[in-house]
Amino acid sequence: MEDFVYFFTFQDPSITWVVLGITLLGIGSAYVGTFSFLDKKALLGDAISHAVLPGICLGFILAGEKNPVYIVTGAFLSGALATFLSSWLKKNTKLSEDTIIATILSVFFGIGIVMLTALQKSGNPEIAGLNSFIFGNAIGISETDLMIYGGLSLTIIIVLTLFLKEFRLMVFDPGYGKAIGFPMEAIRFLFNVLMILAVVIGIQAIGVVLMAALLITPGAAARFWTDRLNPLLILAASFSIISGILGTYISFVIPQMPTGPWVVVFLSLIALLSFMFSPKSGIIFRYFSRKKYLRKTHKDHLMKALYKAREENKEGLTIEEIYELYPYQKVQIDQSIKDLLQEGFITKNQTLVNLTSQGTSDAMRIVRLHRLWELYLNESMNIAPDHVHESAEQMEHLLTPELEAMLEKRLNFPTLDPHQETIPRENHDL
Amino acid sequence: MISQVENPVLEIHDLTVSYDQNPVLWNVDLSLPSGKLVGILGPNGAGKSTLIKSIMGLIPPTSGYVRIFDKPLNDVRARISYVPQRESVDWNFPASVLDVVMMGTYGKLGLFRRPGKKEKNLAMQCLEQVGMTGFVERQISELSGGQQQRVFIARALAQQADLYLMDEPFAGVDMATETAIFQLLKEMADSGKTVLVVHHDIHSAMNFFDWVIMLNLHLVASGPKELVITEDLLRKTYGGKLNLLTKVTDLIRNKDFNPLKS
Repeated sequence: MEDFVYFFTFQDPSITWVVLGITLLGIGSAYVGTFSFLDKKALLGDAISHAVLPGICLGFILAGEKNPVYIVTGAFLSGALATFLSSWLKKNTKLSEDTIIATILSVFFGIGIVMLTALQKSGNPEIAGLNSFIFGNAIGISETDLMIYGGLSLTIIIVLTLFLKEFRLMVFDPGYGKAIGFPMEAIRFLFNVLMILAVVIGIQAIGVVLMAALLITPGAAARFWTDRLNPLLILAASFSIISGILGTYISFVIPQMPTGPWVVVFLSLIALLSFMFSPKSGIIFRYFSRKKYLRKTHKDHLMKALYKAREENKEGLTIEEIYELYPYQKVQIDQSIKDLLQEGFITKNQTLVNLTSQGTSDAMRIVRLHRLWELYLNESMNIAPDHVHESAEQMEHLLTPELEAMLEKRLNFPTLDPHQETIPRENHDL
Repeated sequence: MISQVENPVLEIHDLTVSYDQNPVLWNVDLSLPSGKLVGILGPNGAGKSTLIKSIMGLIPPTSGYVRIFDKPLNDVRARISYVPQRESVDWNFPASVLDVVMMGTYGKLGLFRRPGKKEKNLAMQCLEQVGMTGFVERQISELSGGQQQRVFIARALAQQADLYLMDEPFAGVDMATETAIFQLLKEMADSGKTVLVVHHDIHSAMNFFDWVIMLNLHLVASGPKELVITEDLLRKTYGGKLNLLTKVTDLIRNKDFNPLKS
């Protein structure tokens, strides 16, 4: 608790710096990553982030110490080489994209690990800091590091904001962009540069292995909540910032704890929550809306049964009779009766269930839709009368008043369905 | 039957186009008058879309050239509007109908500049022309195929061009919409614009187009509808690919390089 207060009240200026840095990094990478997620190029980010390792090592060798300028430059160049190679291979060979990306990722990362191991054996005392590039260590960032990484993040954010319209076009419809004379190849090139930069700025805080998660997960999680680009970008950035700060906090509290894995844990948690709870596309929402729909279909079926009883001049049905009509659905029938009583569609006199006048007109509507659809299938789609019932059982719950009007017009207000049963419209049809 | 015209809006000179090493259009040579509604007809795989794409410079020609308003394409891009096939984009992209139609104004805006109020008003006008005013804020994935098609046409209208190239704008569109869109295109042609439409239904083609181009890997015909839609030419267009041409295509594809490239 003490740590928590200490960390989040920013008494320590170095914590303030780190949090500011991770915030900028979060916005920058989520911003770029969301575009590459929408562009369905998520794997490229993973390949680039693994591919920067040899460049980091090379930068270290040339500088002889953990100099951020050398390391960032090295990382950028090796990421650029990987990106260039992947698009060159795609253009000039018949290899599929996933093959190319998997190859580049493993080859570059393999070389990087070989170099890193060789460096560790060299006995240079500076080498200890180099290990943090694998899984990241936000707390270990120096102020110079922060200037460089933060500055690069800011550059990414500004460029992306300036070219928002162009990148939107690049992802949605690059062919059209080319047709209206936009230099789409140059825009794609610029985007790739930003993508590599976004990876490079994360290597210190998150590490090369997990950087792809920080690029892709925020956008993927945010996509559950919105259908518009601008809110999507803002939401993705917020997810990224929250996870970034929480991950940093953990590695602050627990010594020797790398930041990257914890950031990914928090990001995954956000993604999972989004997947479960978002309205419209979340699974829980979908589960309940399906359940609600099923409940409605049970009610509709019960009302239909009661209506048909009226057609046969019976004064309602007993509960036993209803159970017999729909065997194995006792629980649902009891539920439907309870619901319909509450809604005032039916009355229950001891065991005899009957429709109220309000219930009659609604039941009539369901029967009408059922029979209209049967007739439509029979007349317009040439389906035999004994094959139309199943489809009508489903459509009767779905057809809107608008479609009902169209059906009526199309069939010219018919009186009988394919089974010679009356299509009911007014009360006197009973 | 190929009618050439004086002062053409569009001149295609001996255009040959290949995908990788597969020639898909052979020596297309035609010219089009202005203010006409032009249909491009032909069977599947006849090269109709390829023709449109190479006019737009999206596919480099193997040989030959295209001139529009008597100028090379890059000088007159602002006067040409393009409607790609509906399936060519991912409609799950997070955007509203208005967002997509606004893209039609990007060309005139150029790089950097953002669309403002003027562009928005223009986009709204174009949506009205295609009868989609009620869908302005709708997410594009929620639209039906016909509505998506109309959004694309509105985007093309927002370019305020003189020449319109449309790739299968009637694919997946119901009859009522088809008639309405044809009516709109007709009005555009009457006001002096030239509209090129890739189309597959000969019946509606007979009713609506002024000028017809028939393709089947090579140019079968190009001319006023009355002269071109004949039984003989239709048979040449739809009666299968030329046997010899298929054999030559195979020959070229199996070479290690593209011998047609100049």
